[in-house]
Amino acid sequence: MLNPSHVSVINRVSAALFGGYAFAWGFAAFFVAGLVGLGIDFHEAETAAMLLAFILYLCLFIWAFAAANLARVWTVLGGGAVFMVVAAWGLQHYLVS
Amino acid sequence: MFSSFRLSMTWLHTWFGLVLGFVLMICFFFGALSVFDREIDRWAIPETRFDPQPMPSFDNMLLPILQQVEPDAEDYADNMPGYHDASQGPMTPRLALPVEEYWAYTTHRDPVLIMGAGFGVPHPKDPDAHNHIHGNVTIDPRTGALISSDALKIGSRWFYPMHYSLNWQWKNLGYWLVGLASLGMLVALVSGVVIHRKLFREFFTFRPKKQPQRSTLDLHNMTGVVALPFHFFFAFTGLVIFASWLYFPVSSTLLEPLHLQHEAQEATATGLPHKPAGVAAPLASVDAMVAEAKRRWAARDMAGEVGYLTVTHVGDVNGYVSVYRAGSDRVALIGEGIHFNASTGEVLYEDPPRSVVSEINEFLTGLHLQHFEHWLLRWLYVIGGLLGSVCIATGFIFFVGKRKRQLAEAGSQGARAVDAVAVATVTGIVIAAVAMLVANRLLPAELVGKGEWEKAAFWGAWVLTFVHAAWRSAPVARARFNPAWREQCWAVAGLAIAAVLLNWITTGDHLIKTVVTDTYWPVAGVDLSLLATAGLAIVAARQLARRERVGIPDSVAAGGAEATVYSSVKAGHG
Repeated sequence: MLNPSHVSVINRVSAALFGGYAFAWGFAAFFVAGLVGLGIDFHEAETAAMLLAFILYLCLFIWAFAAANLARVWTVLGGGAVFMVVAAWGLQHYLVS
Repeated sequence: MFSSFRLSMTWLHTWFGLVLGFVLMICFFFGALSVFDREIDRWAIPETRFDPQPMPSFDNMLLPILQQVEPDAEDYADNMPGYHDASQGPMTPRLALPVEEYWAYTTHRDPVLIMGAGFGVPHPKDPDAHNHIHGNVTIDPRTGALISSDALKIGSRWFYPMHYSLNWQWKNLGYWLVGLASLGMLVALVSGVVIHRKLFREFFTFRPKKQPQRSTLDLHNMTGVVALPFHFFFAFTGLVIFASWLYFPVSSTLLEPLHLQHEAQEATATGLPHKPAGVAAPLASVDAMVAEAKRRWAARDMAGEVGYLTVTHVGDVNGYVSVYRAGSDRVALIGEGIHFNASTGEVLYEDPPRSVVSEINEFLTGLHLQHFEHWLLRWLYVIGGLLGSVCIATGFIFFVGKRKRQLAEAGSQGARAVDAVAVATVTGIVIAAVAMLVANRLLPAELVGKGEWEKAAFWGAWVLTFVHAAWRSAPVARARFNPAWREQCWAVAGLAIAAVLLNWITTGDHLIKTVVTDTYWPVAGVDLSLLATAGLAIVAARQLARRERVGIPDSVAAGGAEATVYSSVKAGHG
């Protein structure tokens, strides 16, 4: 059976791995849509987003392990991901005529 | 969960390093071999041992061959059902698929030319997606003769994809695992720096005569720190290369409408049609277009050869030909594309100079892929890759060494499993690679499915190394040393020498010929590297035997042996 310390390890690894990935994914989408909205070439924006997304993911990953309060990590990563995906989708809706 | 930042980083480093280290080892070792993938190809396919050639005449040689290319049966079986919309009737038979694009690619290290055709899917589920069934061929550009598809390019088609996909295509899981391991590498580097702190001192610290665990750790720290920028760079750029396709595919998922709008706008701006018109048109002389492209490059003071050539919307009035300059003299792979109307031959568009973002990206990914000419840098890459392998291997050995005694006292068998997997990923990986080369020379060239047999030899040898290591691992549970380390070093030596001798016997290319009388560095380099590997493996095996006899419990000997095995290389200088 899982004891509390296993649960806490799984929780933290999931937050770092999946929470961090979701946030970085949302960032990439929002960054591309945002820059295209500002008149920057789509592929330029995409390339820049890819370069930044992994650095961001790495920082989030380390933070998820270092942070004292894991609930806050989940809130920031999950909430941020959802917010940015929705924002990217909305921006696209506005940009695609 | 953790009482301090450093403790959290130590936990991360230990467990992510252990779990993902096995994958990373494959990435670094086969990545190091990939630096000389084309040279290994020459060794494995003796009829291609000649000098690199410029792109031959498209009109006279390439086009007639391309027109004979068929859609690949395996590609068709795998992908056609996914592309085809069954509600519009049955699937178009494989040989009835319409050709939509041609391409040809060559590098300054490749005597052979690879090219292929992309075939369209008449009734696609998603008309906006890239619905293509491909067919590829390799030719001898001097004569136009086809190189049999049974002749596996062991370097560029096995070792090279091994290092980024583990040659495990199902659901792209190999790519995902490598991506996860690369992120793990970045995390291990950051957390390793946090754990150690005394970076500058570790740069110069290696105490081989100290207590075993101490010297293993020294070697782990030294190889990690000395090549820290190298490790970080390769893990990071490796991720970036596949990012927009696989890891963060925003443009083909959430933002697909925005991307399509951009493609349509770009087609209008550049005059390069995004879609075929459905009206047939002939193909004008592509050789004339190549000549014009070369003239324009020369006029820009950057005369060069063609590296990559594509024909899009083949046979359609909207068809166009793109000619790209080979990037042998700089970091970017190819560039300065000039695009021609396929039926009239007039210039439609010239690629503008790159923007800053693209330049940064091409510089970073180009440095990873290194298709340019710079032999010194190639060898530095090999050394960096092998340093990475040593760093990972010593990490395993330190992990096992640290726990072995406690586990032995507790009567646990856990360390045996980790040790056996470590043997299989360290000496086993070398055995698998060299056994494949031996199989390549033993199997007759006309054998049907030769490449598949070579792959079987590779996997078979690798599995055997694991079985052997597990079978011999009993001493580990008594906090002693697994004799499989030493025995597999001997196997490496035997196989490597056999490979060199077999190359001589089956092709007549011995080292005196390839170095002195009829110099051919790609083959000589592979042979010399195999011999160096054998020599170092023998040194390692003897050292391990001495440690076992003296009864030093273990891991330092293995640590030293790994360093020796991995400072050897199995690649060529072309």
